Amino acid sequence: MNTIQKKIWMLAGVVIVMMFAIWLMLTFYNQKMQDQYNDILQRYLQMHEVSDASQQTVTNLNDYLTEPTERTANRLERSQERLLDAQASMLELRNAENEFTLTNYSNMIESFNETVDRSVAFSEQAENETALTEFTEANRISIYISEMTLSIFNSELKTYERFYRDIIRQSEDLDTMGVLLLSLTSILLLLFTYLFSLSITKPVHQLTKAANELAKGRFDQPIRVDSNDEISFLAKTFDHMRININKLILEIQQKAQVESELQESKLLLQQSQMRHLQSQINPHFLFNTLNTLSKKAYLDGAEETSDLLVSVAGLLRYNLKRLDHTVTVQEEAYVLKQYMEIQKARFSDRLNFHIELDESALLYQMPSLTLQPLIENAVIHGIEPKEDGGLIWFRIKDVEGNVFIEIEDNGQGMDEAKKKALLEGGINPKEGHSTAIGFANVVKRLQMFYGREDVVTIESTPGRGTKIILKLPKVMEVENYV
Amino acid sequence: MRRKVIFVLCSLCAVLGFFTVLSVNKVLHSEWEFPETVKSEKERFRIVVISQELDTPFWKLVDEGASKQAAKEGVSLELWGSYSKNQEDFLKQVEIALHSKVDGIIVQGLDTEEFQQLTRIKAASYGIPIITVANDVPVEKSLRKTYVGSDHHSAGKMLMEKLVSDMGEQGEVVLLGGTDLEYSQRLRLKGMEDSLENYPDIISFYVESGSSDEEAAAATQKALNEHPDVDAFFVLNVRQAGTVMQEISRRTELEPYYIYSFDDGSDASELLTEGKLDGIIEQSPEQMGEMSVTLMMQWLRNEVVPLDSEGYITDIRIVEGKGGLP
Repeated sequence: MNTIQKKIWMLAGVVIVMMFAIWLMLTFYNQKMQDQYNDILQRYLQMHEVSDASQQTVTNLNDYLTEPTERTANRLERSQERLLDAQASMLELRNAENEFTLTNYSNMIESFNETVDRSVAFSEQAENETALTEFTEANRISIYISEMTLSIFNSELKTYERFYRDIIRQSEDLDTMGVLLLSLTSILLLLFTYLFSLSITKPVHQLTKAANELAKGRFDQPIRVDSNDEISFLAKTFDHMRININKLILEIQQKAQVESELQESKLLLQQSQMRHLQSQINPHFLFNTLNTLSKKAYLDGAEETSDLLVSVAGLLRYNLKRLDHTVTVQEEAYVLKQYMEIQKARFSDRLNFHIELDESALLYQMPSLTLQPLIENAVIHGIEPKEDGGLIWFRIKDVEGNVFIEIEDNGQGMDEAKKKALLEGGINPKEGHSTAIGFANVVKRLQMFYGREDVVTIESTPGRGTKIILKLPKVMEVENYV
Repeated sequence: MRRKVIFVLCSLCAVLGFFTVLSVNKVLHSEWEFPETVKSEKERFRIVVISQELDTPFWKLVDEGASKQAAKEGVSLELWGSYSKNQEDFLKQVEIALHSKVDGIIVQGLDTEEFQQLTRIKAASYGIPIITVANDVPVEKSLRKTYVGSDHHSAGKMLMEKLVSDMGEQGEVVLLGGTDLEYSQRLRLKGMEDSLENYPDIISFYVESGSSDEEAAAATQKALNEHPDVDAFFVLNVRQAGTVMQEISRRTELEPYYIYSFDDGSDASELLTEGKLDGIIEQSPEQMGEMSVTLMMQWLRNEVVPLDSEGYITDIRIVEGKGGLP
């Protein structure tokens, strides 16, 4: 991982390396220059040494000739040695261009020394005249040496002119290089610093932006930071936090939804309980009222009306009580009879009701209020449309393990399509009554109760009547089935 | 913004980097070219050519020939000397050469006491061989090893023959010569006089023309005054030829006169092309240089011992002026 600390170290390292390199280069170059300068100076000093030494030798020789003592002799010898040293060092200065001149120079020094020696020798032999001539000769050679030194200087200057100019040009180059290096280093540092600061501030900026988004409540945008230092670590942690918060929020939202749904269903439950209570109150009120009416009719002498009201009340009670219970076939048959009595009161002579009951079949259990809707259908379709009345047969038979219940009318009947639709409950209740629904309801309940499909059969011929046959298995004891 | 800053910085870096690299390269890799130091143990022969007339084309040619030969022989050679016959400077150069113990000296002979002193005593004491070139100094006076150059005596003769063939065997001739005639000039004069002995009808006069231009001009006037019927001029010193002809043309037409000289360089060839000079003896300076170095090397290597002290003669020829003859 690239830490910020590491980055700072790297920046500092780059700066130090750069500075060191520049320093090294300049030092190297300076050393080189220094050596060159030294060499050049050395050359001139050596040449000057020769001419100086020769002049000194002449002076010393003069001293010696005028006063030949040990001291002056020593001095002369010393200066001669010095001259020879200088001559030896001169040979090192030779190059292709001044070889000729320098050899001459060196030889001239030799000649000079020889002349000096000769002069000393003559002086020792007391041949002062000759010694003086030689001295003059030596002096002249010394002058030649000086002149030649100058001319060598000259030719040196000429030979090395380009070299000196090079040095000057080079120091100018060095200046240029210094300026260039300085500016390059500055710009490089600027660039590095900029990149470095960018690598720190950019992730911070991104992080700030992400934090702002979070502050605004947008928890769904992932936090992305393109760096690989501590900030990225921070960003990752931050992102993790965002994801967690997001999850929590979602959970809270789900909980709230469930709660509100619960509240709603509670409300619905209360409403339905209320309705249930209300619906219980109304029938009882009606039932009581009917009983009162029946008593009143009886007291008033209208016995028929009183009976009718009793039947209605019984029917109502049965309706209220037995919807979710099983009853015996007998009970069902009784209710049916009561209903038919009411209908008789309505239709009087037009309704001919025939009933056949097989006593052995009456004990078996069956769902309550299943026959009433069927007989109502028969009345509606078999009696109502016919002004001269109709016939309705109701039979209960016990045939081999099954109880057969038949309801037959001689009404208008129905075609096959209607029959089928009626069985499947898909008929449109437009014919005045909700009988179709009642029929379908009965069929469903029977099928559910017995767990069989072939409970209900319809036989019908248009214009001649309809016969509904229920084929019920024999069931003795059944718990509440709803 | 960020991109722009980075881009600008990067391009600046690139440009500066480029120039910096160039500059660093220039500074670090500019090796100074020192003249090669010589450490050879065997020292090459050093020969000096010394002349009094470095300013003349003649000596330039001598130097050319000598240098060419020296390069061939592999010896170091330098041309020293003085300008415009500065004798003092010339002698000093000879002395320096002697004191410098060069291996050989090729010198333009100077017929003076000092010169002879140097060559006879100093050179002998240092054991340095001397060859005279172009101008000779008699061997008995200078102890030179040999002489390389023209045979001036025959040059004088040749020029006189030329005059005779141009002018005929009758006429008056003026010989103009400087105050101190050099050995070579004397030989030329002698050659001419020897030649004149064959032609008794040609009368010759010798007029001293001094050493400066003014004296030469005066001498010319004097010659013209004293010998109005003169037909030809011989100018021994070619340096004075220009002055002489100027003086003549000031008084009369230049064309009728025959004017001859000896080439030692200077402006003779110019006068020739202008057609003012009718003839000149041309020498072979290049050959002289070449031959003198060859002989010196033969001497130094002990190949030819001794050298012919009579000298080695180089070619001479007559060059005619362009203007044609009168």
